[in-house]
Amino acid sequence: MSALSPNIATRLAPHALTIAIAAFVVVFSVIEPAFLTPDNLVGIFRQVAMVGIMATCMTFVIMTGGIDLSVGPVLALSGVVSFFAMEAGYPLPLVLAAGLAAGVLVGLLNGAVIAFLGLPPIIVTLAMLSIVRGSALLLGGPDLHGIRDQPGFTFIGTGSIAGIPFSIYLFVAVSLLVVFLQKMTPIGICVAAIGENERAAFLSGHRTRITKMSLYAISAFGAALAGIIQSSQVHTASATYGEFGTELDVIASVVLGGTSLMGGNGSVARTVLGVMFLGIMNNGMNILNVSIDIQLIAKGAIIALALALAERG
Amino acid sequence: MPAAANVNASAAQLLDAHGLTKVYGNLVALDHADFRVMPGEVRALIGSNGAGKSTLIKVLTGAIMPTSGSVTLDGAELPLGRPEEMIRHGIGCIYQHSNMAPALSVLDNIFLGRQPTRRFGLVDVKAQRREAEELLKRYCIDLDLDATVGELPTVKQKEVEIVKALALDAKVLLMDEPTGWLAASDVRRLHDTIRLLKSRGVGIVYISHMLDEIFTVCDTMTIMRDGRVIAEADVADMTRAKVIELMVGDRLARESSAAAGEARHPRGNGEIRLSVKGLSRRGMFRDVSFDLYGGEILCITGLIGSKRTELMHAIFGSEPRDAGTVEIDGKPVDFRAPGDAMACGVGFVPEDRHRDGLMLGMTVTENLVMTTLDRFRRLFLLDRRGIEAASRRSIDDLSVKPADGRKLVRQLSGGNQQKVLVGKWLRLGPKVIILDEPTVGVDVGAKAEIYSILRAERDRGAAVLVVSSDLEEVMTVADRIGIMVSGRLRSIHDTTDMSMAQVVAEIGAE
Repeated sequence: MSALSPNIATRLAPHALTIAIAAFVVVFSVIEPAFLTPDNLVGIFRQVAMVGIMATCMTFVIMTGGIDLSVGPVLALSGVVSFFAMEAGYPLPLVLAAGLAAGVLVGLLNGAVIAFLGLPPIIVTLAMLSIVRGSALLLGGPDLHGIRDQPGFTFIGTGSIAGIPFSIYLFVAVSLLVVFLQKMTPIGICVAAIGENERAAFLSGHRTRITKMSLYAISAFGAALAGIIQSSQVHTASATYGEFGTELDVIASVVLGGTSLMGGNGSVARTVLGVMFLGIMNNGMNILNVSIDIQLIAKGAIIALALALAERG
Repeated sequence: MPAAANVNASAAQLLDAHGLTKVYGNLVALDHADFRVMPGEVRALIGSNGAGKSTLIKVLTGAIMPTSGSVTLDGAELPLGRPEEMIRHGIGCIYQHSNMAPALSVLDNIFLGRQPTRRFGLVDVKAQRREAEELLKRYCIDLDLDATVGELPTVKQKEVEIVKALALDAKVLLMDEPTGWLAASDVRRLHDTIRLLKSRGVGIVYISHMLDEIFTVCDTMTIMRDGRVIAEADVADMTRAKVIELMVGDRLARESSAAAGEARHPRGNGEIRLSVKGLSRRGMFRDVSFDLYGGEILCITGLIGSKRTELMHAIFGSEPRDAGTVEIDGKPVDFRAPGDAMACGVGFVPEDRHRDGLMLGMTVTENLVMTTLDRFRRLFLLDRRGIEAASRRSIDDLSVKPADGRKLVRQLSGGNQQKVLVGKWLRLGPKVIILDEPTVGVDVGAKAEIYSILRAERDRGAAVLVVSSDLEEVMTVADRIGIMVSGRLRSIHDTTDMSMAQVVAEIGAE
């Protein structure tokens, strides 16, 4: 029997995350049947939509061996910019475009400095975290800005279609789009090539710098979209949204999905699994009335454990 | 210099290694090698790659345990296979790649990793400084002890390493390619330092591929080949050509068989594909001009360090150039990046397949289409089926084993990895293909296969430019031979007009 078990372990390793999710679902629903109600399951998706959008959009960056720490403030900035666009009376499409453009601009800036000046992503995006937070505060001040009489904008975060919140549709659409980019277009191979061996990719004629720059723009786009959903959900925009820790949930989801922080192979589809894993864990602990302090500790321990297992596998 | 030549005065020997042998399985890496250094002698250790130099050095630094043999220093026998003992007894080594802590000061680096027994746990900064200053004075080396090592120019960093070794009372200093990263003026500076050390009685082993430097700074030389010491001589008694002949050895005898029976196509079909005019890059190569014709293989050979790789990168657009022009089919081009060169039908197989060539963690198929991804774009979708088909064709054509495109390149043998690397460039259908040391580290069988690939490319009309240090390879595949010496393209000959001995003589000429 002991001779068999390593064999089983290697076969199961690629599905460890799926198994862990299944195990949590079983455990939570046995302890608390309310977990399995449709309302609660929809609630889980709704809760993870923002982190999920940011995580799928950051997966490419992490696949190249990079990282984006600036997503929290970008989220806030996009909300504040959208608010001022609404205040100025612009129609909804322009409002959304303004919010998203503000984020993408930050991403392009991140990417340009990282790709063309060759500075380390962790430093550049850490600096950008501070710069963008400061800019958002400069623009919006420390106050909450109430969003009133904007039915179109409010629908994004609070509306539903066929009983399912609109933000879930956005999450699914963004995930499908990024999975599509990875699997069906040359971008997937280019990103993996840069993560595996950037110099060899460059010498093979790839425009590695332009590609890297674009990937940071994609990551920031995700954060900006999340910012719009956030402001819409709570009917306010504030420069303090996307507080410290947002980027950690996002990065943890990507890494739980099996993408290595060292770059190389990774999978957007598996990032979605990582997002679901964290979401189910949070929700389950809420339902079981685990207090927030214990929740934080348990969450950290489970992430560390999962990563330790992934490193060995 | 004559004092050092006194080889039979055994009493005065500083370092005496006797009968060193190292066997790895069936491979004899070092075969009864004797090696001596006198006080105040600069001895060159010469040999081509795989001659056994590194193994000998590793025995002397204690990095490996020899199968048999002994080493004495100042008449005392040393315990082998223990690096810290070798350092304690006075054998220091300056490695090719600096192994210092760049963020620390010169002073800290000099005393880094020293036996703490003298310090009782606490660092006596004043005593350290005093000791370092004395050393600098004794050896007339000018260094700022408080400077940060990482901010010093490379030649200064080498000096810090030397002082570090001297602070450990090194009597013998092994220097492995010490000038590899230095500019010409810095080389002179380092040589001045070496002469000073020599005048203070330090014995120096100078390992270098640069014959110029050996003839400038060394007194004596030991030449190795196939794990054996095959010659010891005074530098004054030797010529460059003689040295290379000894290094190359019986490969000269194999020349006729290798070269026989091959039809040569100098200047191929008579159409100039690539024309390089006056290409220069400061500190690298100067005023290089040549024409490469369709349907020929031009091999550029020379010693390691003659800057051939840098020249190829400059042609391909992946590294800068300061002056000169490149023409493709008579039209001037200005390649700013590899993609520009590829758009003009130029391919480049780099030397280091792990660092520059392949994505080891990706599949054979993904690697094979890496240069031609754009061709598999249908609108913005990837044509997976087309990619699979192309990969299968390449795998068949090159007989990559195992013949499975889903295998990760990491799982293939060196020879098959090289075939994938060459294959991904052939997929481009290049009209000019540059290959830098295309058979480094592959077995004999894969070598022959790669040669027939090169000939097939030539016969289809491609212009093939090969950089190779392997003279047997050059004599086997070249239609014409270009000889590069110290960053200058010295001459180009038809292979039929040359013997290997003549090539050897030219490589070593100055």
